[in-house]
Amino acid sequence: MDAILTMLSYPFMQRAFLAGILLGLLLASLGVLATLRKMAFFGEGVAHASLAGISLAILAGVAPIPVAIAWAVLIAIAIFWLERSTKLSSDTLIGILFTASMALGVVIMSQTAGFQPELISFLFGSILSINPGDLVIIAAFTAIILAWFGTSLKQLTYIAFNEDAASIAGMKTKTQTLVLYIALAIATVLGVKILGIILVSALLVLPPATGRLLAKSFKSYLWMSLLVSEIVIICGLTLSYFYDLPSGATIVLTGTGLFFLTTLSRQVMKR
Amino acid sequence: MSNQLPTTNNVSERGTAVSVKDLRVSYDDHVILENISFEIPENSITAIIGPNGSGKSTLIKAVLGLTRTEKGDVKLFGQPLSHVRRTIGYVPQRFEFDRQFPMTVLEFMELARHEHTDKKGISRAIKNVGIKSGVLREQLGSLSGGQLQRVLIAQAILNQPKLLVLDEPAAGIDVVGEAAFFQMIDQLRKVHGTTIVIVSHDISFVANAVDHVVCVNKNLMCSGPPKLALTEKNLERLFGASNIYHHHSHD
Repeated sequence: MDAILTMLSYPFMQRAFLAGILLGLLLASLGVLATLRKMAFFGEGVAHASLAGISLAILAGVAPIPVAIAWAVLIAIAIFWLERSTKLSSDTLIGILFTASMALGVVIMSQTAGFQPELISFLFGSILSINPGDLVIIAAFTAIILAWFGTSLKQLTYIAFNEDAASIAGMKTKTQTLVLYIALAIATVLGVKILGIILVSALLVLPPATGRLLAKSFKSYLWMSLLVSEIVIICGLTLSYFYDLPSGATIVLTGTGLFFLTTLSRQVMKR
Repeated sequence: MSNQLPTTNNVSERGTAVSVKDLRVSYDDHVILENISFEIPENSITAIIGPNGSGKSTLIKAVLGLTRTEKGDVKLFGQPLSHVRRTIGYVPQRFEFDRQFPMTVLEFMELARHEHTDKKGISRAIKNVGIKSGVLREQLGSLSGGQLQRVLIAQAILNQPKLLVLDEPAAGIDVVGEAAFFQMIDQLRKVHGTTIVIVSHDISFVANAVDHVVCVNKNLMCSGPPKLALTEKNLERLFGASNIYHHHSHD
């Protein structure tokens, strides 16, 4: 108990937990819609694509997160526009934009001399990397996106099930879809600080996947996903602190462990 | 529910539910529909018929504002679509979803409920399509094809639309279910005054049960009450053969 209180007395851990709890809510909420729309690859693509924005910011000597957010939003808008103008699947377009943007990131990085510890922390995530400014950005975007999510959830779900009927009913299906893409892009980039570019999309997928195994209705699915997300983040960050492990990898492994544990429990209960 | 087929009212006594004038739709320089003009009377059961690939679904999507039109004028109940959007119910040709997705029928119905429709309206809509309200507690993915189609129709009529559009409903109905299906939509028309439009490639599915037809194969081939519009000559122009129309009763 003393060890936990000591951990929570460190300002960097307080910021990591606060940021983690907020990101857990944000990514799991959007993840429910992403999995419903079969967009699990979207988070993966946007996270990797954000490397270009982060590299650009490091090269220019400015704060990486705002630049990465702006870049990710551009990528999200490009995916939305290309989906409609080329009729290619979003997976194909994400594959193109994600690799092109990563390639751009690598080219920009090659212009930055010496070892870049900040870049490494973005790749793998670090609980030490959340500064007060980041926390404010994460809290502000989480509040805005969750407020929109709360008021638009019914519409977003209807659009995911039956876009034509939703459009006929007068819902702004294109606008809502575009805002969802942008919200997913922003949430993914915010999660990069703790989870890293390589692993952040796991938090969009793992909690909804585990929540789905436990839920019998949409309402319980949403709540279960949020609960699982928070358990995974809190346990993952705690393990990361005590065993001096990379935060992103520890959170993802905790989530994966919980997913398999839930799957096994369900199988045992069925017998 | 009545076992009788819908009665043919005098079209001229009724108002116009759908009015299409000189419609043209094309994709990438490929013309899908052109010179399409017709009217659908209010409180009718109308079938839009034509062979596969004739542009029926494109026509209904153009009427409902789901696809861009190159030219033409569409009015619903004398008004532009944007004024009457919330008075339309639509059941799409294909409804594909992940059957493992956790959602109850009640939650699915709630997605379409307008603020002016009370919650009891969900039970009423479910009852109107001939299924027991117990289905509301079931998982959407656990329903059979026929039950799912009825739930989709219940969702489309939930807000008591003035116009109900069913795109290829025959796909989810077996021969035994046809009579019950037409009784159900006839009841909707009689009780709620709903104008019903059915898009179908299967003329024998609709011809005996509707009181108005619109025949499409890139151009408008015929339009009017079935007895007047579905002549041998028109059917030959529409399908390339006149003997595909088998009279049978849905009773």
